[in-house]
Amino acid sequence: MDSLVNQLKMNFPGRTYQIERLFSLFGYKNEPFVSSVFIYGPSSTGKSAVVGSLLDGLEIRNACVNLVECYSSKVLFESILNQLSGHKIDPFKGHPYAKCDNVMDFIFNLRKCADEVDLNKSVIVLDKAERLRNMDYNLLPAFLKLKELSGLSVSVIFISEIIFEKYYFKARTLEPIKIHFSQYTREELWEILRLDFDHVQNFIRNNFNENFDINEEFFSNYLNLFLSVFYRVCRDLSELRHMSKLNFVKYCEPVFKKECKLEDSMGLWRHIAPILKASLEVLYLRISPVSQEGKQQSVEIKCDGARTVKQFTFSKESLAQFLELPFYAKYLLIAAYLASYNPPKEDKRLFMKYHGKKTKRMKDVKAKNIVSEQLNTQLGPKPFGFERLVAIFYAILEEKVDFNSNLLVQISTLVELQLLSMVSDNCDLDSRKYKCCVSFEFIQIISKTVDFNITKYLVDFN
Amino acid sequence: MVGYKNYENTRLHIKNKIVNVDQYNGHTHERKQLLDILKRTTDSGESNSALLIGPPGVGKTTLVNSILKELQEDKKFNSSAVLVRLHGLIHTDDRLALKAITSRMNLDNAINGKVFGSFAENLSFLLACLQTGQRETSKSVLFILEEFDLFCSHHNQTLLYNLFDVSQSAQTPICVIGITHRLDVIELFEKRVKSRFSHRQIFLFSTHGDDIAIPSINQRIDRISNFLLLTNNNDFSSTYFAQWNKNIKQLMKDKKFICSMQRLLDISENEEITKNIMMLAVSKLNVEKPKISADDIEDELNIFEKDDLVQTVQDLSVLELCLLIAMKHHSEIYDLQPFNFEMILTRYNKFINANSNVQNVQRSVVLKAFEHIQNVELIAPTGTVMSRLQKEYQLFKLLITSQQITEAIKTMNGLPTEVIQWAGSSLA
Repeated sequence: MDSLVNQLKMNFPGRTYQIERLFSLFGYKNEPFVSSVFIYGPSSTGKSAVVGSLLDGLEIRNACVNLVECYSSKVLFESILNQLSGHKIDPFKGHPYAKCDNVMDFIFNLRKCADEVDLNKSVIVLDKAERLRNMDYNLLPAFLKLKELSGLSVSVIFISEIIFEKYYFKARTLEPIKIHFSQYTREELWEILRLDFDHVQNFIRNNFNENFDINEEFFSNYLNLFLSVFYRVCRDLSELRHMSKLNFVKYCEPVFKKECKLEDSMGLWRHIAPILKASLEVLYLRISPVSQEGKQQSVEIKCDGARTVKQFTFSKESLAQFLELPFYAKYLLIAAYLASYNPPKEDKRLFMKYHGKKTKRMKDVKAKNIVSEQLNTQLGPKPFGFERLVAIFYAILEEKVDFNSNLLVQISTLVELQLLSMVSDNCDLDSRKYKCCVSFEFIQIISKTVDFNITKYLVDFN
Repeated sequence: MVGYKNYENTRLHIKNKIVNVDQYNGHTHERKQLLDILKRTTDSGESNSALLIGPPGVGKTTLVNSILKELQEDKKFNSSAVLVRLHGLIHTDDRLALKAITSRMNLDNAINGKVFGSFAENLSFLLACLQTGQRETSKSVLFILEEFDLFCSHHNQTLLYNLFDVSQSAQTPICVIGITHRLDVIELFEKRVKSRFSHRQIFLFSTHGDDIAIPSINQRIDRISNFLLLTNNNDFSSTYFAQWNKNIKQLMKDKKFICSMQRLLDISENEEITKNIMMLAVSKLNVEKPKISADDIEDELNIFEKDDLVQTVQDLSVLELCLLIAMKHHSEIYDLQPFNFEMILTRYNKFINANSNVQNVQRSVVLKAFEHIQNVELIAPTGTVMSRLQKEYQLFKLLITSQQITEAIKTMNGLPTEVIQWAGSSLA
């Protein structure tokens, strides 16, 4: 018994409190279990893993269902029954243990199942339980008191990222026993990442350098550096593990090439610091960093004959540089941006040469004082009509061009590229309305390529 | 080794007591009233209907269970009555309820050959079965409807109408007992249903115990000591038994213990919560810790009282917390007006630029952090989510008060000082 707890504590560092608490509720064979337990905490803090390995270790009959898989309550009921009864689905027929359409059928079949196998002290685990809120209204309260409803001693464990408070929709819900899986602290993260040592070493030996020999201290030093950069932005264990593995290869590179020695931690830090910073920018995006160093790295990896890493430049700024638009299309896009982010009544002042003198009124002074949060560029694009777009286009374009179908085609190309979006109905041909979907940084780059000063024509910046 | 056995037996004994409460104490008057109603149906064949109303966790179902147990001990009961139990959460519409009633009344055989075109036909057949009986000769049927208010939302309230209708006429004697926590349940009835209901309501309130003179805290402590005291002497050595009970009696008089129980009572009168806390306290017993102390109870109470939202905030990364602080400042300055990602990003960037030692991160990473905050439901989009609107400009509202954020930051360790300072004042 106690050996199991110790084993689990070894496997899951930083989860001592949670393991002990769960064990005290489920660890004793003769005792009755509580009817429901609610486990909550951020993602990748070991909720499902701890519960799963504890139940398996205690040899408690259990059914684990992830509610992401259950698009209807029927699927949920049937997979619970299949698992509890040990029913194997025949791949040719695919009949479940029993067909259940509603809670009544489910409880009936659960009782039937209890006659065949011993369901006493079995546990149903519902992962991603927050999805129960969007299913039938009676599911959540029914599972919360399944023990009372079915008359069987079956407990339910809910696992969720959302706190229980957000589940109340009617007073019917009983408060279950709650166990919080807190996010790992920096020290705990370091300890857990260190467990990957063997794995990482094998990975490097298999892919890069067979004779590469590192000790654990070298790896822990690296993790310290790594966490000093990443911990502030991200505490998600699975993401950190992914990133630390990717960057460790780059950390070791100078050693491969014999530029640095293993002991030269300063040299290695100077080498890795810009790389870590670059990869921080692509956190969660699962693409390789686009910085200059990054490019060289990947080329070198290719030369080493390892996995070829394709370089794609995804970030929006670089997209603006590489996007090849015709000259007039660029002006059209700029005109669209101006139309989206300027109020129409300012058009006269912005785009006409002789717009007359403007007398300063109290209202204008007040309007000047609007705080940064109410700027047009922050509230999002406003829709504008086709005519206004064309008018602004001619106002900002210095040369005279004929208005012809070529220009019109450009507009639909921009819509197709999703730089503009159509707001009005598709069948409405007379008064088309558009919205500009590009960011300010993007339009700045575009306008630079045609030598156009966009800030001069934006109300927010005047 | 003896000590080892003792504590395991204690755990088992107490847990069994907490989980399987079948004895019902208190509310003797209401209990007698309900028992009378049921007895009159089973014994003398009088039809009746009644509602049992009380807040959640007061022991409505337990009361009914204990009454039914008492009735079933009588050997005549099985020959003179049929018990039909329906639950609002299980029998979610009248068709299901009807199915359950049929199978419970062993009418499956009678139905087997017949094919019912509609719900109405099925019901009328069932009613005919009920109606053919004479008051004196036929078995009486007891209907127990739990979560009664849910039955009121069924289409046309057909089931309720028919049940009450039968209970009003001199047909098969039936007794309909509804159990609900809604005080206004009568208001949910349709007019025709209302007129057929006997308007007999039995209220259960936790404060209206047998003796109003006894304060509810004493009643509560009495019940807890019932749970925790060992009653069966056989499984324990006599010295251990005496010692445990002495210890528990001491605990019941402990000022700290009484104080924490009062705290719990002030939060909620729901007895399930007390049971859960006792369960957790008992679960903590092991070889090294063979006694329950007032501190254990207080610890559990503290865990119970903890604000989950504050904990969620403490689980965020520094970047996400910074965004949350920016949202907090925004809501304070603009009087809870909604915000979008761009506004928060500007505010955050102002803070970053003011502190040169903070490393700047890419916009997409900040957006990801923003989305994570949305995923844990600390913020929610206002109004309908417009698919045409870019997500940067979608307006959000904060679902957490600024006090809670301040509280979380106060107790969180390992935060950079500039973030703590920024949280205190919006002047970056």
